[in-house]
Amino acid sequence: MVNQSLFRSILGASALLFAPFATPAGASMSSGFDRLLDSVVRIDVSEVNYEDGARRIDASIGSGVILSQDGLILTNAHVAGPRAVDINVTLASLERVNAKLIGWDHWTDLSLIRLNLDDVKKRGLTFKHAEFGDSEKLYVGETVYAVGTPHGLTRTVTRGIISNNNRYFEDTEGVDGYETGNFNSWLQTDAAINPGNSGGPLVTEDGRVVGITSRAYLGANNLGFAIPSVAAKRVVAGLVKDGSITRSYIGIIPKALQDLEGFYDLAVNSGVLIDSVESGSPASEAGLKAGDIILSIDGRKVDGRFPEQLPTIQNTIASLPVGSSLVLDYKRGSSEASAALVTTKLESRMGEEWVSDTWGIGVRKVSRAFARENQLPDDTGVLVIGIQRGFPAEVAGLARGDIITKINQSPVDSLDVIRATDAAYASRPAPTLFEVQRERRVALVVLKP
Amino acid sequence: MKFSTLILAAASCAAGARAADLPALWAERVKCAVAVEYVTQTELERRPTVAYGTVVDSQGTIILPSAAIDLRIAPKQIKDFKVYLPGDPEGTPAEYLGRDAYTGWHFVRASAAILSRLVPVTAFAGPGAPRIAALADEVWGIGIRNKDEDFTPYILRSSVALLQLLPQRTAIAQQEVAGPGLPVFDRDGRFVGLGSSSFGQTFVEFSGADRDGSPIMLVNIEESSAFLTADEVLPYIGRIPKNVFGRPLAWLGAYGLEPMDREVAAFLKLESQSGAVVSEVLEGSPAEKAGLKAHDIILGIDGKPLPRFKPDRVVVDFVERQIAAHAPGEAMALSVLRGSERLELKSTLAEEPRLVREADREYFEKIGFSAREFVYGDAIARHSKVSDLSGVVAHLVKPNSPADLAGLRPDDWIKEIDGAEIADFASAAQKLTDIEKDATRSETVFLVSRGSDTAVLRIKLH
Repeated sequence: MVNQSLFRSILGASALLFAPFATPAGASMSSGFDRLLDSVVRIDVSEVNYEDGARRIDASIGSGVILSQDGLILTNAHVAGPRAVDINVTLASLERVNAKLIGWDHWTDLSLIRLNLDDVKKRGLTFKHAEFGDSEKLYVGETVYAVGTPHGLTRTVTRGIISNNNRYFEDTEGVDGYETGNFNSWLQTDAAINPGNSGGPLVTEDGRVVGITSRAYLGANNLGFAIPSVAAKRVVAGLVKDGSITRSYIGIIPKALQDLEGFYDLAVNSGVLIDSVESGSPASEAGLKAGDIILSIDGRKVDGRFPEQLPTIQNTIASLPVGSSLVLDYKRGSSEASAALVTTKLESRMGEEWVSDTWGIGVRKVSRAFARENQLPDDTGVLVIGIQRGFPAEVAGLARGDIITKINQSPVDSLDVIRATDAAYASRPAPTLFEVQRERRVALVVLKP
Repeated sequence: MKFSTLILAAASCAAGARAADLPALWAERVKCAVAVEYVTQTELERRPTVAYGTVVDSQGTIILPSAAIDLRIAPKQIKDFKVYLPGDPEGTPAEYLGRDAYTGWHFVRASAAILSRLVPVTAFAGPGAPRIAALADEVWGIGIRNKDEDFTPYILRSSVALLQLLPQRTAIAQQEVAGPGLPVFDRDGRFVGLGSSSFGQTFVEFSGADRDGSPIMLVNIEESSAFLTADEVLPYIGRIPKNVFGRPLAWLGAYGLEPMDREVAAFLKLESQSGAVVSEVLEGSPAEKAGLKAHDIILGIDGKPLPRFKPDRVVVDFVERQIAAHAPGEAMALSVLRGSERLELKSTLAEEPRLVREADREYFEKIGFSAREFVYGDAIARHSKVSDLSGVVAHLVKPNSPADLAGLRPDDWIKEIDGAEIADFASAAQKLTDIEKDATRSETVFLVSRGSDTAVLRIKLH
């Protein structure tokens, strides 16, 4: 895993407006590349943000690539996600069309939006769509091009090579606080990637999309990363079908064995080390422990010697239908054993968000994953993510990071509870008792008009 | 006739000669102030610290304020105590006696060699009840300069601006009136209090980059405008700890007390008093045995309602001092509010479980870390069951050592070494010693717990 603090999603460019210019006719890279250029779009997104304890709108710019004539556009999850309230697409023809979110998958940092086709038809607009290439066939040193909207500079093409075709990293908060990177490896390129490139395609000379550019090291020279098309194609298919990607979860954090084969007395290239088992997870209930070596999954041998091999192993498990029965053969000390377990649904740490304009407070539901990470007894409560100054919540002493567990002595087990009390308060303001968990402490505060 | 002469004489002494007497009063009283230097010696460094203290008896017992010594440091690691008389660059060795939980003071004993040059502060306490400073009283106290100025003493003067219960009675003067831990006197030279930690004062800082100014809080750590009044000091100077750990320590086991603020009190119709919310009730504690539950609100102790303080949070210190005033084995009654129900609970305080600063520890040079015994508080901090205390804690990890390079972090809970569970500190120490002795060893593998996760760490030796 790479140091997370070095990563920044490459989004959020300020809008720099340049006058459009005409492309001279004649010379071109290839017909495929011309077609690709006509399928790359700029995406302006307005999204809600509750982090000030009020409903605020943030604007940002990203890129995307049109995948089909019915207006599907692939971009990054950190460009267009569920917080988006307005998505505006600028086509290659410089015409603007609205789009709406079809679905997103923060684990792979991909999302799918669709153009308003009625509007396209009414206005007689045209566009082209791109074709996927095969990211598995890329070789290190192969020339690739990144196309996108860096710093708002529409349809910028930069050139580089594939620096590494199998890069591994995870980022627990990489997509606006959501987890990413556990189930795919990344393409690394030295093609210049800047804020605003996010969601744009990484293509070969024939204009085929081999990756979706997503991240770069800030402060480094030309260390950019893209989601490979092999992963993107699977996610697109799932999002088109269901609007989301459902994954299986068993609750292990794997670690590469590296040079530990000797210590664990294993044959080379076999087994993956369990670094951690999440409490209450299927793996934990099946008796698996940290330090165990998984030798095979449902009879198929696993090889987790290097970090680059971990996403594949994780994806093998995640790709199973939720509720699948699974047998893991493992080694503990000198003995071997099997564990049978049933997968559950993989959930994000990030819960649903909501804001109360009466109290001046933005909250996020505590999820099971968040509760586990923070060693909370259960998933009761909502996390305070924003406070508006001078409003009742701030006056009463609530602070970001507090977990509201009870309101007027009733447990807050869903956002509906807090919504209902807020509505009651708005219609007839009366002192309201909040019980909050603050680190290890319980505090009582009264919100009043 | 005789009677009135006496009164007149006293009056003339008070009114006429007062100011002129101050240098004389000062010269006598400065003998009860000292500087105390000690060294904190960890595996990697030796760090001297200087604090100021007041002599409280004829045996050369000195009290230092609570903040003078970091409570997280094991008494074994603080050594080489020395007492310096104001103005004298030569120190003499002294002995650390421990900290008293009720007052928070650290006690130090000066060597017999300098006893004749010390005067206890009790010599200036006067007859009868302690003199309690009143509003607008003129007061003066002692400050002491740094070591490079031979701990030169100097005088500070002010008058009392405010008296507050925090929860101890504390006088706040208009300006700095003494070094923290140093005595304060009135114009007649009578002891009226002991300088406490100073309060932060807010200033607005302007700079070229910030012309609007931004507020910053500054704390003068060498001098304080606040002092504990004499009645909060004199009755307690005999609380000399029986050992460096300050045992026995009374323990209730109600964790994370939070003040009930005024708005909450009004909501719960408890306007006339204060309360403390219990965040957690610790496993196996007297509080648990008494039936106390998390989220209960303590409203009274031993039949007396908790008084109201300004600010509200002082009530937490008040409760903690009430516990510390008891001895282990003594009964303590708690009046609590649970939901809308009032309950009277009887607890029997116990001896506090072994603390981190009492835990065994050992440094392993080759691996590059020190292992520390896993104690009760470690289990609590890790949301873990106390009943299965096992493993050891990485107390210190030497930078760039094999342990550091393998990813071991301070506070990691080492549960297994080389695949075998660690039962206790002794077996871990034995195992680690064997590993370090074995010259053929190329690696050792730790299983550590960190937050909600674990990690398998491969430590490459040499």
